[in-house]
This record gives sequence, C-alpha cells and structure tokens, in this order.
Amino acid sequence: MSLFKYISPKTKDEVLEILQKEKSNACIVAGCSNVLPNIRDKEIKAKVLIDITNIEQLKGIYQKEDKIFLGPLTTINELIYSDITSKEYKVLTQAAQEFADPLVRNTATIGGNLVTASPAADIAIPLLTLDALIKIESTRDKREVKLKDFFVGPGETILQDDEMIVGIEFEQSDVNKNGYFIKIGQRKAMAISIATVAVNLEVRQNKINQIRIAAGSVAPTPVRLTGAESFLKNKEINDKLVEEAIDRVREEVKPISDIRASEEYRRYISGLLFKRAFKKLADSSIHQFTN
Amino acid sequence: MEEYKIDLTVNGEKISTTAKAEESLLKFLRRNGFTEVKCGCEKGECGTCTVILNEKAVKSCITLALQANHKEVWTVKGMEKFELGRKLQKSFVNYGAIQCGFCTPGMIITAKNYLDQNPIPNREEIKKAISGNLCRCTGYKKIVDAIYAVAVENQRSK
Repeated sequence: MSLFKYISPKTKDEVLEILQKEKSNACIVAGCSNVLPNIRDKEIKAKVLIDITNIEQLKGIYQKEDKIFLGPLTTINELIYSDITSKEYKVLTQAAQEFADPLVRNTATIGGNLVTASPAADIAIPLLTLDALIKIESTRDKREVKLKDFFVGPGETILQDDEMIVGIEFEQSDVNKNGYFIKIGQRKAMAISIATVAVNLEVRQNKINQIRIAAGSVAPTPVRLTGAESFLKNKEINDKLVEEAIDRVREEVKPISDIRASEEYRRYISGLLFKRAFKKLADSSIHQFTN
Repeated sequence: MEEYKIDLTVNGEKISTTAKAEESLLKFLRRNGFTEVKCGCEKGECGTCTVILNEKAVKSCITLALQANHKEVWTVKGMEKFELGRKLQKSFVNYGAIQCGFCTPGMIITAKNYLDQNPIPNREEIKKAISGNLCRCTGYKKIVDAIYAVAVENQRSK
C-alpha cells in the first residue's frame, strides 16, 4: 500500500502552510534526483510529497539593485545558459558544467543541492565563495543566513521542519566576478566529487584585497577555508606566499577516506586545486593591473 | 490505495488516468504500455529511461509521474514522427551504433533533444551531450559517429 501523498501547490504561502501542518512528515520535491532513489531504497517512507515545480515565485535569476537573486528552483542548466551568471559569475557556471550530466542538470535545482547538504554538493562550493545569503521562510518567521552557517553535518542543515529556502542572493562585487572552480572526480561525467575547490579573489596593487576559498568533499560539509583566507588577506602575492597558503589549505581541510579516495590524497589534492585556481585568478588580475 | 488523477500526452496521444504519489514517470509509462522506455539503474545514472518532458530530455526514473501532469512526453517510439528522429534512427543502423540495444532509446532521445538545440555540434560536444547515457557495448565510438553523421548532414543542408 502506498503511504505517500502528493500535493502540488501553486504558491509559496501554500507550501509554508502545508509544512507548518505536516512538519517532518513533509518532503519538498523538485528535481527528485535524490528523493526518488531514496524512496526506492526505502530511506524515505510515508511522506507528503510537496511538488514545488509549478511555483513561479521560486524560479528565475534576477539582478536586484547591487545583488543577484537566484530562485531555489533554478536548475543547474539555467545557471549555464543564463546571461547573468554565465558572463560575470563564471565560478558558478564552471561548477554547473561539471555537475552530474546534461540530463540531470535539466531538472536538478540549486535549492535541492543545498538542502540535500551532501559534503560533495558541487553548487554549494561556488556559492560559498560568492558569500551567498540564504533566504528562509516559515509561517512564523523570515530569516536570512549566510551559506557558510547553513550546513550542520552530512545531510543536515539549520532548516527547521517548517522552513523552506525561498531565495539565494549574492553581491555584484568585483571579488565575486573573479572566481574559479575546479573539480576532481573519477570520470568526466556523473562523478561524485573526490574534491572541489573554488576561489574568489580581488587583487589591488599586487596585494590580496579580498579572498574567499571554499572546498567540497574534504570535510563533513561544504566548507569555507577561513584560516587560509585570513592568512592571505592584505599580503603581497609571490611564490612563497602561495606555497605557504597551500600548506594552510591542507591543514584546514578535514577529509575522510572512502570508496572514492583516501584522506591523504584528498588533503594533497585540495592544496593543489587551490594553487591552480589561485594562480589562474592571480595571473589574470596582475596582468590586468600592470596593463 | 490513494491514486491521483493525471492528464498528459505521450507521443501526441492524450492519456487520462491515475498515478501513485511516489510513482516514477518510468514506472508509470511502462505500466501504461510504453515499454520502449527502458528501466536500467533506477537511480538516475544510466540514462536508458530518458524521455522528453516539455521539450527537455529528462531521466524518467528520477521524475515523478505526477510531475508530468498537463505536460507533453515523448518516448523513442514517438521519434519517428520527426524528421530528425528518423534521420537518427537510420544513422544508428548505418553506423552499427547498436549492439545489445538497451541504451539506444535513451541515446536517440538525448541526441534528438540535443540536436534540436544545437544542430551542428562537433564530436567533443556530442560526447558531452551523451555523457549522461551509459553504453556498455560500443565504447561510444559508433554512437558518436552516428550522431555526428546527422550533424554533418544538417551542416550540408543548411
């Protein structure tokens, strides 16, 4: 016998009402790339499936004053094809292009990637270096949380049972427009990341004015490497500095060994990915400056 | 058992029936006679269950049947209604891009949907486009050859 129910609300407020009533018995669905395999494996039982794919309010990519707004229903392919993200926020499109495969990218959403809270959530990594703000609502409250404070552990976030993500926002700043993302997986497509690193950098007169570093699959959650960031801030860029920063990155990540890679390899590769991303950004920034 | 009303079109034919809340579009289609949609891994990895849902190629095993309500679905059988579908069918045969044939429905659907958006891709772009569809027989070369031949034909007739 089916223990599941299905509801397809038309507005965000309807969803919030249902969440308030059903609490942990509710399961919001959109892209379903995680939910359906979980139902099949009986990891999800007896739930009210709230299908939010018909809610227009939760879709779209907009410029809002000095910010970029992403609806939680934005699909991974929309990040690749949107003029707004593909032109100026390459760190996002680079991650989107390496996400699963082109078919999954047609339906998988940003909101789904974040709430699933996998340590290997590929879209979380560039959003961390963009210092994204997560807008959360319930019938009782509205709040905003920095993405770096959103994840609690593998599969766990700060979201309460009656809350949902209604938007993701980041600033249209210079540092956000200069980012780079690299992923290491076992294959070119459909690969769960072994490690990912994103860096956003703003250089002024050869000094690091702003830097944000994030890494995936190397800790219980997607993480910002704030230790390495503060070490680099306001320093003049040279080879010695980069070598020291690589060590900091390797010290700061907390990887585990699993079927995809060992702890040692992940630690090693995190430093290397940081170096590649940083050099890419630093070289072009310095070049721009001297010209 | 609670079932929900669903209206959709499959290969241009209107269907009005019911579906379970947690039923995948794959199971739903096969239950309703569209057994040309193949069931492989059932976790969104192999791509043989790919269908076109409102003009986008999606893996039907990770789509809820009820998410296709009031929408348009095309399976590989419906592809022969399109010139591009027929060209791909012929090209797959010409190039021997079929061995066991299990991945073929998904490959044809993905190729058709991709060529609709990008009619003249190069080989690398084709490889990327079919990267969500697994084939365990051909090593992909013949499949890429078959799709590329249609792209070359598109270029010529431009």
